Amino acid sequence: MDKLNLTHHISQKFNEELEDVRNRVLAMGGLVEQQIVDALRALTEGDSELGRAIEQHDFKVNQFEVSIDEECSRILARRQPAASDLRLILAIIKTITDLERIGDEAEKIGRFAARLAEQERPNTNYREIEHLGNHVRTMLHDALDAFARLDAEAAVRVAKEDERVDGEYDALSRQSITFMMEDPRTIRRVLDVMWSARALERIGDHAKNICEYVIYLVRGKDVRHSGFEAMEREVLERN
Amino acid sequence: MNPGWRQEVLTFLFLLLLAIIGGLVFRHTFAWLFLSAGVYLTWHVINLYRLDRWLRRGRQFATPSSLGVWGEIFNHFYRLRRRDRERKRRIAYLLREFRNSTSAMPDGVVVLDALWEIIWFNDAASRLLGLRPGQDLGRRIGNLIRHPDFVGYLRHANFEEPLDIPAPAAPGVRIALRVVPYGSDQRLLLARDVTRLYRLEEMRRDFVANASHELRSPLTVVSGYLDAMRADARLEGDWGAPLAEMEHQMQRMSDIIKDLLELSRLETEAREAPFAPVDVPSLLQRIQREALALGYGPRDVAVEIGEPLWILGSDAELYSAFSNLVFNAMRYTPDSGGVRIRWQADGDGALLSVSDTGVGIAPEHIPRLTERFYRVDRSRSRDSGGTGLGLAIVKHVLQRHAAELNVESEPGKGSVFSCRFPLDRVTREARIA
Repeated sequence: MDKLNLTHHISQKFNEELEDVRNRVLAMGGLVEQQIVDALRALTEGDSELGRAIEQHDFKVNQFEVSIDEECSRILARRQPAASDLRLILAIIKTITDLERIGDEAEKIGRFAARLAEQERPNTNYREIEHLGNHVRTMLHDALDAFARLDAEAAVRVAKEDERVDGEYDALSRQSITFMMEDPRTIRRVLDVMWSARALERIGDHAKNICEYVIYLVRGKDVRHSGFEAMEREVLERN
Repeated sequence: MNPGWRQEVLTFLFLLLLAIIGGLVFRHTFAWLFLSAGVYLTWHVINLYRLDRWLRRGRQFATPSSLGVWGEIFNHFYRLRRRDRERKRRIAYLLREFRNSTSAMPDGVVVLDALWEIIWFNDAASRLLGLRPGQDLGRRIGNLIRHPDFVGYLRHANFEEPLDIPAPAAPGVRIALRVVPYGSDQRLLLARDVTRLYRLEEMRRDFVANASHELRSPLTVVSGYLDAMRADARLEGDWGAPLAEMEHQMQRMSDIIKDLLELSRLETEAREAPFAPVDVPSLLQRIQREALALGYGPRDVAVEIGEPLWILGSDAELYSAFSNLVFNAMRYTPDSGGVRIRWQADGDGALLSVSDTGVGIAPEHIPRLTERFYRVDRSRSRDSGGTGLGLAIVKHVLQRHAAELNVESEPGKGSVFSCRFPLDRVTREARIA
């Protein structure tokens, strides 16, 4: 499957640089994944301290973004990569932007979690949002796996999950509206839950974007805004 | 001489004889010699060709058969190949057995090369770590296991302690990862399911936390009554001394519970302390004032600030660690002695040291100092009012700040407790992180 010959370069050094920057992107991805896990835990366990800790860790994600960005522009300027190397660099630049946004969304959830932890908890204990959260987290995990393995088929599968995440989000928002109508005193709290769900849904979208970059990187074809059918066709046809 | 060569020599002599006889009978001796040499040479060339063809094909097991020395050579080749095949079969068998046995192992095993690329892994590894057979060979392990702790573990390359993380592929499972270098630049990554141990540990922590919490409320009630009784003038005479002692012990108990709760809080929280800027110089000055107000220990307590460095960490935790070190020094130093608190830059990082001219600690006790309730001298320290948990708290706080505790001491002369903070926890001013 590897048209991307990351390991066969005339310049050993260039090769190492590419491999290194790819590693850093995945390390950043791991950090962001952990942020989501922590945010969800803060939300479901009502741990306000953990919620606030996420805010403090966000700067690490930002640092990653800045340093990877710098490294990419350095490689672009010095090595002037072509073909698959160029696609790799472009995909990385886009991926880190999405990862950074995911980090911001996780931070947001952490903030809401800290606020919700100080209020009375409903007897469902936010289980419904936990389900959505785990779904989104798995999506991001699989998207990063697809990036690590340069696996376009897996990327399509993950991107497809986004529809189900959107469906879950819709169901959750309908449920929230019912809660608010039943008892207006809960509006403030339910709104916070809604915003957290919204943030999770956005994370799903970003994970889908990352999948599109993976397809672009492996197949050399831009599949953004083209729908799943086109995406699937593109990936499956070539096999 | 072996039969092959004998046959060869005989053939050669026979051809030579034939040529000489032919020459004697029909003249043209040279032509006859030439002819027989030609025949002899052709035979060799034909056999060489057959050997070459056989070697080239490689797959054909049986060698061609021939006479004379060629027969001998073919035989040798045949035997060599057979021995080779035998050996190959044995090695393949051993390898298969080895892989089968490692596959059956409940622990995950991943073989890595010098660049951390995956060479081989067993079934348990693919189950615990989510690696895919075939597809993931040659990929870097850090790209597939991306937990920040693991990435940091690989980067720091300090593999003495195993690393505990949630299993990436199996929900609810905790694994302990360990890297073992072997051979020339190869590494084994061992993944072990420690869910049960982790749960036990969790239960122990919860137990200590809950027990201390439950003990606190009755204690508050009793100490409330004690206060009231102490204030009662009627009980002053006979009961004055016992009541004072009771209050003293009550204070000790509540100190111990406070420290236990603090410890269990440190244990349950995330492995890393937050990165909030902490003004260490003013923190140390505050501790100095409090130390002088303790009511025991020397009057000579000095703070020396080498450089006004700040730490990125948790204010409350650092306060409790540093004050524990300083109050300990106060406790074990005679009134005529002195306590020095130094804060300075140190190579790559920052160093806090608390030195005293107190009783000192014998070297055999130093490694165990941070154990809970470990006492160097049982009778002594209890009088002095320590809880026995101070240094355990210090150790935990420092761990969470990636700092190291170092103890140097000489009995009778005094001790130096120093904490070294790494560069990424140190900052020059109140930069908002």
